Amino acid sequence: MPTTDTDLLGNTLTEQERALLNVYEALKKLAARDDLPPCADRNVRKALMSMWQATNDLDLQFEQLYDLGV
Amino acid sequence: MAYSEFWNPKNETLPREQLQALQLLKLRRLCEWAYATTPFHQRKFDAAGFKPEQLKTLDDLRRIPFMTREEWMESLQEKPLFGDMLATDPRNAIRYHLTSGTTGRTPIRVLDSMKDWDWINEMWCYGLWGFGIRPEDSVYFAFGYGSFIGFWGAHYACEKIGALVIPGGAQTTEARIKQIIEMGVTTVCSTPTYALHMWQKAREMGIDLAKESKVNKVILSGEPAGSIPAVKQQLEEAWGAKCGDTAGMTEVGTIMIFECSHQPGGTHIIEDHYIEEVLHPTSDKPVGYGELGERVVTSFGRGFIPVLRYRTKDMVMKVPASTCTCGRTWDIYSGGIRGRWDDMKLIRGTNVYPRAVEAIIREYPAIDEFQIHIWRKEELQDEITIKLEIKPGHEGEWAELQHKLAKDLSNAHEGLRFNIERMDYGVLPHFELKARRLVDARPAVQY
Repeated sequence: MPTTDTDLLGNTLTEQERALLNVYEALKKLAARDDLPPCADRNVRKALMSMWQATNDLDLQFEQLYDLGV
Repeated sequence: MAYSEFWNPKNETLPREQLQALQLLKLRRLCEWAYATTPFHQRKFDAAGFKPEQLKTLDDLRRIPFMTREEWMESLQEKPLFGDMLATDPRNAIRYHLTSGTTGRTPIRVLDSMKDWDWINEMWCYGLWGFGIRPEDSVYFAFGYGSFIGFWGAHYACEKIGALVIPGGAQTTEARIKQIIEMGVTTVCSTPTYALHMWQKAREMGIDLAKESKVNKVILSGEPAGSIPAVKQQLEEAWGAKCGDTAGMTEVGTIMIFECSHQPGGTHIIEDHYIEEVLHPTSDKPVGYGELGERVVTSFGRGFIPVLRYRTKDMVMKVPASTCTCGRTWDIYSGGIRGRWDDMKLIRGTNVYPRAVEAIIREYPAIDEFQIHIWRKEELQDEITIKLEIKPGHEGEWAELQHKLAKDLSNAHEGLRFNIERMDYGVLPHFELKARRLVDARPAVQY
């Protein structure tokens, strides 16, 4: 699912980095939906908030998520 | 279970060339974000003729205009409550905190989104993990949990790490000490001043914390004392524990620097999330390793209020990462934050600007002359006392004024207690030209 094969520094993604980025991108897609019940909608955002930290710490992305309310 | 020594092994040991490439990439994106979303930065960039695309190397950082606390305050005063600093809709915020301002009663107010707030905790994770906090630890927070940001981030960081969190909250010192013993606490988070106060109170209670508690780590923040060798040694002996220094600021929301478990006599800079410049305080030119200068911070964290080249007025001395044996590639502030280049005073973790205190005192026409007296009680606790003279004919106002002034000053300073002392008329020095109303009687620091 990641649209890139490298991290921000141009290094090839490891298997674990690719897996983490997949989860992050999947959560972004879920957070963009408007048909989730509150229990899913808000917990998806909490999960996305956490995955932003992991993927940002590992130089996999550096972006803002305010348009998703995160 | 064997744990990594590093919270983020990839970046904490990243070769410096790659670290700087990462900083440049993040800096460019942050500037693009700030320019596209934040009127404050749009105005400043335009006035300086700076465009984010001019950032070709890290040295181009110096094209970005400085950001000052005074500008921040002006923005807040012109457009309450948050000025024109916000990069996104305030409805995206889930957290509000404030810090005391430089003038009068206006505080600096900040907002964080879910992601920003979790990033704040993440920075504490770097520091706490780096000093040795692990899921097996029980961490006690000797902290009041108010609007002051203080140890809030550290609290959530410990939850994230998986440690047992024990919030001290609004309790007496005696109750806190009993809880630390009863719960088998291994780590205490406190200001240096309060950690010494707890030790002294425990002694009065007949408790030797070094022998009777299980505390083996004390995380210090809020005051420079955590890196002052004499204070650190006193604290380590008193608690029978290793003491680790950290430093943060409300303007960025969290810590920027932390002492690792190798205790190199200073604090590592979290360089994958910040750029920390050290500049000559008047020429603004970068100073080299081993030279004192002013900390200027750029934060890649809180996108809600972008902080770019913020002049902190903190006095620091950067030394290379290799000064420490831990293996991190992140440079170090030898001695942590060593002091201030301006007149701000740090009293029990709270910023106090004499001009802000004066502005509040001047709201009381009955007060004639005054002096801000900062002193150390029983060699342990910093105190601030306003000594004042009442104008002849206004003596009847003293009783009410005493309480109201103490409350006003406290409200403007994160709840800090101010002592108010009335002096006989004519005792305090009266000034005609440059007034010197601040007396800092605390002992000088030795590094």
